[in-house]
Amino acid sequence: MRFFRTTALALAALAATPVTAQHLTLYSGRGETLVAPIIEAFTAETGIDVRVRYGGTAELAILLQEEGDRSPADLFWAQDAAALGAVAGMFMPLPEATLEKVPAAYRDTEGRWIATSGRGRVLAYSTERMSEEEMPATLAELTDPRFRGRLALAPTNGSFLAHVAALRVVEGDEAALEWLRGIRANRPVMVSNNTAMIQAIGDGEADLGVTNNYYLVRFQTAAPDFPVNQRLFPTEGDIGNLLLVAGMGVLTTSDQSAEAVAFIDFLLSDEGQAFFGGDVGEFPVTGAEVPERLDEISLDEVVRMAPEVDLNTISDLEGTLALVREAGLL
Amino acid sequence: MALAEIRAILPGRRMPAARVLFSAIGLGIGALMLLPLYYLLLRAFQADFATVWQLLTRPRTGQMLLNTAALTAGVLALCTVIALPLAWLVSRTDLPGRRVVNFLAVLPLAVPGYVMAFALIGLSGNFGFLNQVFGVTLPRPQGWWGATLALSLYCFPYLYLNLRAAFAGLDQSLEESARALGCTPREVFTRVTLPHLMPALMAGWLVIGLYTIGDFGAVALMRFEVFSYVIYLQYSAAFDRLYAAWLALILIVIALTVVWWESRLRQGVRYARTGSGSGAGPRRVRLGPVGRALGWGFAGLVVLASLGLPVAVLTFWMSLAPIGPILPALVTSFGQSLSVAVPSAALAAAMALPVAVLAVRYPSPLSTLINRLAFVGYAVPALAFALAFVFFSLQGARWLYQTHLLLVTVYALAFLALALGPIRSALYLARPSLEDSARALGHGPLSTFWRVTLPTIRPGVVAGSVLVFVIAMKELPIAFLLAPTGFRPLAITMFSRTSEGMLVEAAPYAAAIIAFSALFVGFVLRHDRKAEG
Amino acid sequence: MQHLPKSLGFRMPAEASPLGFRQSPAKVLLEVDGLTRRFVAGEGPAVDRVSFTLGEGELMALLGPSGCGKTTTLRMIGGLELPDSGRVLLRGKDITRLPVEKRGIGIVFQDYALFPHLSVRDNVRFGLRRIPRADAAARAEEMLALVGLQGLGDRKPHQLSGGQQQRVALARTLAVSPPLVLLDEPFSNLDAAMRVETRQEVRRLLKRTGSAGILVTHDQEEALALADRIAVMEKGRVLQIGTPDEIYRNPATRFVAAFIGRSNILPGRANGMDAETAFGRLPLSRAANGTVALAVRPEQIMIEPDPDGPAAVVGREFRGHDQLYWVQEGERCLLVISGPGQGQGAGLPIAIGDRVRLRICDCVTPVD
Repeated sequence: MRFFRTTALALAALAATPVTAQHLTLYSGRGETLVAPIIEAFTAETGIDVRVRYGGTAELAILLQEEGDRSPADLFWAQDAAALGAVAGMFMPLPEATLEKVPAAYRDTEGRWIATSGRGRVLAYSTERMSEEEMPATLAELTDPRFRGRLALAPTNGSFLAHVAALRVVEGDEAALEWLRGIRANRPVMVSNNTAMIQAIGDGEADLGVTNNYYLVRFQTAAPDFPVNQRLFPTEGDIGNLLLVAGMGVLTTSDQSAEAVAFIDFLLSDEGQAFFGGDVGEFPVTGAEVPERLDEISLDEVVRMAPEVDLNTISDLEGTLALVREAGLL
Repeated sequence: MALAEIRAILPGRRMPAARVLFSAIGLGIGALMLLPLYYLLLRAFQADFATVWQLLTRPRTGQMLLNTAALTAGVLALCTVIALPLAWLVSRTDLPGRRVVNFLAVLPLAVPGYVMAFALIGLSGNFGFLNQVFGVTLPRPQGWWGATLALSLYCFPYLYLNLRAAFAGLDQSLEESARALGCTPREVFTRVTLPHLMPALMAGWLVIGLYTIGDFGAVALMRFEVFSYVIYLQYSAAFDRLYAAWLALILIVIALTVVWWESRLRQGVRYARTGSGSGAGPRRVRLGPVGRALGWGFAGLVVLASLGLPVAVLTFWMSLAPIGPILPALVTSFGQSLSVAVPSAALAAAMALPVAVLAVRYPSPLSTLINRLAFVGYAVPALAFALAFVFFSLQGARWLYQTHLLLVTVYALAFLALALGPIRSALYLARPSLEDSARALGHGPLSTFWRVTLPTIRPGVVAGSVLVFVIAMKELPIAFLLAPTGFRPLAITMFSRTSEGMLVEAAPYAAAIIAFSALFVGFVLRHDRKAEG
Repeated sequence: MQHLPKSLGFRMPAEASPLGFRQSPAKVLLEVDGLTRRFVAGEGPAVDRVSFTLGEGELMALLGPSGCGKTTTLRMIGGLELPDSGRVLLRGKDITRLPVEKRGIGIVFQDYALFPHLSVRDNVRFGLRRIPRADAAARAEEMLALVGLQGLGDRKPHQLSGGQQQRVALARTLAVSPPLVLLDEPFSNLDAAMRVETRQEVRRLLKRTGSAGILVTHDQEEALALADRIAVMEKGRVLQIGTPDEIYRNPATRFVAAFIGRSNILPGRANGMDAETAFGRLPLSRAANGTVALAVRPEQIMIEPDPDGPAAVVGREFRGHDQLYWVQEGERCLLVISGPGQGQGAGLPIAIGDRVRLRICDCVTPVD
């Protein structure tokens, strides 16, 4: 019976959770390994303690909606603009000085959230089974019959859905649906996420797929001879070269908005941006200098090749989801 | 004794203090279980009905429901094929090393779903583990059979544990008298043994079936689209709680139908132990050299697939990065995991006890209701369950929100069904005369419960707690929403690496979950055996 | 089955019987008054207005076939079951609704109900929680010695034989010195040889500790051997209460006559203290009038070989010290025991097919 007695004591001890001093509460949909160093750097520089709740971006966005005006969070850091859009109503407008640090396309039109780093949509391909002549010139070309059974697709992935949303904005719903149907007709290999996509291409189940630029780096770190590489679509301004962002907003319910904004400013400082551009494998959103990196895609190139899409316009998730469903991909 | 049967059928005519107390606790638990249902209805009726209708009437929804049914059937069948022979080998034969097998057969529960799926995927393909290390390429497991395989390999222990207990409680003279009546061994198995294993089989099937209906992790990696996937998508891709609530309610209806159906069936196959109590311990079948080789072969294959594969994959990942630097973080993380999983396991067992006592000792429509409600926590999708408690604690008990206490309570409610199974089975086997006897010796109902009932059903209580502990170690969505901010148990730490595609960095945490669960399970099993003498 | 007049089956004081060898107990310990319990609405009660009294130190058996309500009666006395109506009084105090643990009545279960997680010693000490530790320990050792199990206190129950388990159960119950011990089929799990030995042991222990006892059994031999008085039950009712001798010699009903030992039933016309039968005018053990059924014990019938006799032997069973014969006389088949002083003693072995003459030389009992 000692077991029961011990746990009864443990339970009693748990009832009293200590209350601590002032700190920022951050809901982070971004992984700890990636962002912990920069958070530590912030605390070291400002002396402001940051408490982080790590979780899935989607789960945290839903949690914030549920918490409403009772949320204990000061900041929400999301993997994608869509999640930020879903809770934008809960964010306070950011100061002009902060907003000005990034181009208008990388922040909310009403100034409620702001990008912290960019990630390019790129074409990942098998170095063993894709020849130079075969490479698609545009995203639209992926519906070509020559890729039948060779595409990998992660239809539930947030970045993919954002990409489809951008396609709708640029080409219209009709064309977007047409493209989705074309992809469907090519019988893509369905994968659950971007990591699985790269794995599938490496394993020989698929030959190419559109993914975010920073996943491949992880595989190449683990195995330098990994038979997958990535590139941009060679057509300038093609929708395939879309630039997406991870971003952040300050909750209106925060009683420490000044400190919260200070945190965002820190991330947008050259030091913060260098961090994302370096180890993390993403792109700066402020135009800061990028240190040397593993993949061969440069920021200049990404910016030059990217289409102009205002991320504010791609927040219609239901409509996008409905379209993907209609095409039979979900 | 005919009398005891009548007593069991009849709703109790007196209300002893213990029954009143247990009913009150049971009703309290039942009320807590109703909170999520209330919450989901609240959200569901905020939704636009035309859209709901459109969502539900898509032909694809029907296809996904069919897929869910097919997957559930497949997983139940495969789990049975794995667990039944394994339980028989361990509890009814003299297979050398059966204790080790017994220990290893519980551990797959601790394997995080994504690790199992990656382990199976990693087996195949160009860059798969097998190809890298041995140069062998297998077809990639996927679709229905891939998902069936992945789920079965970490769900079978639920069935195994139930069956092992049932084999131990099976009166061997029944089988022997059937042999004497001219039955062949196969007939004995189908006509005597199997019917007596039915309650255990159904209890295991229920838990596995509910898990399968609700799972989307392994299923998504195996590219098999089931109904839970639609719910997940609604939450994760559309950040929507309203339509998701509808879908979750449908899933709950399916799950509760299964629960209802199981308890209907169970009524037909209740085997009270008759005749004298103690009886001789089970006689074990002596295996010849061939039987021994076959036994080892089978057990080896199961252990290799369910535990060896994930461990090999994790080892492979871990070999790619040094573990030294993260060791302190790992230990802290483990401590935090433990501080949730241990009290959750104890609380779930403590909650399951009165519920099980009501079901077994005081059957009535009320106790049936309470026992079915106990499954709600397990049947509601975890995210929806956690959201309900976010909602209610913010409305009613702010001080409780995102505290350790709330997390532990919600875990206990969510996994109550897991603890309930073994405890209920143990109570069915415990003789009521022990309790009557303690009462006649001057012990009140509560003293009797504490000093006689609890020690008697201790193995069931321990087994139930272990199940909750192991699953609490790797649970994610509830922890995301309800853990204290800054709290970083192993599962969350693991996730915040895999979510960024850092499988190599996540591996030590996944390995820690398995290793520490193994240590705990081992410790409990050892301690328990010692206590039994 | 006709209902008995209350004066016959209920509360028949021992001294009322001319054959009762035991005096009525000086002090009444337990009074059971009209206990009734119905399990299924619409069906007859499982226990129907059962009443009896039990003296201090007295040993009573509730005897009857399975399903007769004897166990339910026992459970109601013990407090494991509540009656629909009726009362249970212990030393004059109404305990009908008192919880089991407050009654201080010991119960020995059919399966002994030894706690498997406790040692033999701790099992025996289990009820001794209101007295100091050291005293409880001493008492446990004393009880173990009393039942002849000294030195086995550290064993677990499953390490003992059935008979030993039985004695532990008894020691555990007697340790708290209950005024009354209820025993529910306590010997049914023992083999035949053990059973005879153990039941005398149980009787000796109860008498020695001064506890009264109520034993539930379906085995008439056990009841006859163990009890001071027997209550025969059928279909929830007590048919007759009396000493073993009384019940055997003077069964109140045809059922009792058939259930206790073996009986032949003869028709007859009674007129006061005797009756006209096929065997002539026979004295009755109690007064009756009109057409009656008469119970005749096999040993009350004398058998004599007679080539011209009206009856023939159709079956025979050698039983060691006596012989059992099935004798066909007209349409009737009668059971006859010929002891050493009869038939065989006369040096005339009777074989199947032999013609015989039967005589009844004792008073017979009107039943029904």
